[in-house]
Amino acid sequence: MATETATRRDPAMKLLVVLLAGGAVSLALGVYGRVHDPTGEQPYTLVFTHTIELKVWFATAVVTLALVQVLLGARLFGKIHVPRTAPPWLGDAHRLTGTLAFVVSLPVAYQCLWSLGFQTTTTRVLVHSTLGCLFYGAFTVKVLSVRAHGLPDRTLPIVGGAVFAILVGIWLTSALWFFTSRPVGIPLY
Amino acid sequence: MFRRIVNVVEVLALVGAGVFVVLLFTNQGSSGSPSSPGAAIFAANCARCHGSDGGGGLGPQLSDGKVVKDFPDENDQISFVTHGQGGMPAFGKVLTAEQIRQVVAYTRTL
Repeated sequence: MATETATRRDPAMKLLVVLLAGGAVSLALGVYGRVHDPTGEQPYTLVFTHTIELKVWFATAVVTLALVQVLLGARLFGKIHVPRTAPPWLGDAHRLTGTLAFVVSLPVAYQCLWSLGFQTTTTRVLVHSTLGCLFYGAFTVKVLSVRAHGLPDRTLPIVGGAVFAILVGIWLTSALWFFTSRPVGIPLY
Repeated sequence: MFRRIVNVVEVLALVGAGVFVVLLFTNQGSSGSPSSPGAAIFAANCARCHGSDGGGGLGPQLSDGKVVKDFPDENDQISFVTHGQGGMPAFGKVLTAEQIRQVVAYTRTL
């Protein structure tokens, strides 16, 4: 009886540990963003005019990759049926797009945290800062959910959807704002 | 073969995440610590738009006497920073009156 109860609790306990790990990551980033003195510097621009253009286009690339990953995930879970026969490399392509999205997001996040920190100057900036911290926590939960076996059935699609939703929120409060509201004279790239 | 590539990319991503964290804590920036309270407030709230040296970016240039020319009276600049206008956020809700006075004084030295 006790063993049965423990087994039943196990998925919930595992999920709690995974969520706590993600929460710790988000909290750590938020605390860093508040405590660290923003440098206000542009550490790198690559081929762009300013760092902000780099961030905008990299963030757009991240959202695009994430969208592809969501579609591949939907095919993996049989939620869509295109192509009719799932190719054997589908799972690996799903992993690859997610990993690339994460890698491309790092230079953006670094510039945000190191140069600007967690800011609250306007509602848009506050929401963007908050979602930025939440993203890496949610991403941590997603990665751990893939690796940890025995979690509740719907964990992965829910967490995956949450990661994507947070990412879209980040893009809406930064890149879309830049595309639609940037002051006159600021180049697009 | 494809799976092997994906595995390598995942390992590289993990390394990238490690580098990300290390750089956050080790990279001090070229200017070091802000030299005054006004400079620190500027770095935290203004530099992202006006540039770390006030040379302009998303927001207009402040340095080389530009802001003094635009606001000959310092009180006008304090009012502008406090209440905002157009693309300039209202910092009266974010900073105290003393902090605004400090950062305005700092921008006039750039």
